[in-house]
Amino acid sequence: MCEKHKNQGNCFSHVDSGLQVVPLNCIVNGESVCAHIDPTMTLLNFLRKELKLFGTKEGCGEGECGACTIIMNGVAVNSCIVLALEAEAANIMTVEGLNIDGKMSILQKEFISHDALQCGFCTPGMLMSARALLDRNQDPTEKEIKEAIAGNFCRCTGYVPIINAITSAAKLEREGIKNE
Amino acid sequence: MLSKFDYVKPQLLTEALDYLEQNADTRILAGGTDLMIILRRNAETPKHILDIKGIPETNRFEYKINDGLFIGASVTVNQIAESKLILEKYPALVQAANSLASYQLRNRATLVGNICNASPGADLAGPLMVYDAKVHIVSSEGTRTVDINSFFTGVKKTVLKANELVIGVSLSDVSEGDTSMFLKQARIKGHDLGIVGVTARMTVDKKIKLAMSAVAATPIRLENLEEMLSSQPLTYELAIMAGKEVGNSIKPISDVRSSAEYRFHVAGVLVKRALLHLSAMGGK
Repeated sequence: MCEKHKNQGNCFSHVDSGLQVVPLNCIVNGESVCAHIDPTMTLLNFLRKELKLFGTKEGCGEGECGACTIIMNGVAVNSCIVLALEAEAANIMTVEGLNIDGKMSILQKEFISHDALQCGFCTPGMLMSARALLDRNQDPTEKEIKEAIAGNFCRCTGYVPIINAITSAAKLEREGIKNE
Repeated sequence: MLSKFDYVKPQLLTEALDYLEQNADTRILAGGTDLMIILRRNAETPKHILDIKGIPETNRFEYKINDGLFIGASVTVNQIAESKLILEKYPALVQAANSLASYQLRNRATLVGNICNASPGADLAGPLMVYDAKVHIVSSEGTRTVDINSFFTGVKKTVLKANELVIGVSLSDVSEGDTSMFLKQARIKGHDLGIVGVTARMTVDKKIKLAMSAVAATPIRLENLEEMLSSQPLTYELAIMAGKEVGNSIKPISDVRSSAEYRFHVAGVLVKRALLHLSAMGGK
């Protein structure tokens, strides 16, 4: 694809445009961030390259695979196709923000106990799609879970344990078992 | 990406229109689900990006009895998909919204962006066409309204001029008993552009409206077929005949998603299925 689109091999990295940097203010994982960035930068590149939050992954870079899923102003979005500057004044949560006081959240623990990952590349995106789902629906059906993660590709074919992990996390969260 | 652009997000419509007038090489950004991919592939290298999400008029999303529905240019596909009111009044619109890409995409993608991108397979075009939606266009020279059925001019081409901005679309109010259905065939459920999309609507006086996507250079209305279907009661036999007839009204191509032959076949099946559904909902 790089050659086809004359990308000079730069598909997977941010090429500094050389334009004057512009200010960006937002909240990331509960902390205020004030930065000066290249206006052509994507939100994904901002998180990874500027904030060094490497949890969020770049897969396809075109909004198909969901590896870059984050929660922006309460809804799940693909950060690879959002301009960083669009996040001005936004409230952003990445996989690094899932923990509660440094302890893993129920959702993360359930992914581990259900073996809901092999290589782990899709996991941060899966977790964020699942978090967004549980935030809007405390008791999702299997169909609703599938619909919520339809935009997150797992190539290790681990969908069944992922669905089980989300179902289980929903149940535990409903029972009010917070971090032990 | 290799584009060098500046980013502006005006809070006033007049500001945005002046900007468009003064900066020729500007691309309009709403959801960005098409534009960001174009930029990433360096298929286009605009000098300016105009984000319209701050303009209050583009966030208007309301239904009024008698006036109908207005959907602003910044209203996302999920806002439509989650609307119980639209499901009740304009069901095909919600069905098409739900069929578009993935949940994350729908949180960003906008209905107006879907039609301005003007893909032959635009999912939301068909539902707008059967409701004869009006596209509200503004520029620093004034405003104009274009019927959605005259909006598309070719593959990825519309009647829009460089200095114009679509502020939203409006749909007339519908009477009780008016119903519609959207059906789409895709390689996988959701998350792929459709191989064929069909929207059928039956008005309260039993008139049939039919629109299709991904079977011609633009989304199309099937007026000849509509005439035939509206002149007699919608029976099982008539639905089957319409499924056979539809091949004469479309010009599908072969591409990565499907052969033209398969598109002809699926078009017939989906038209028949949509009509049978309408018939079951209260036709005869």
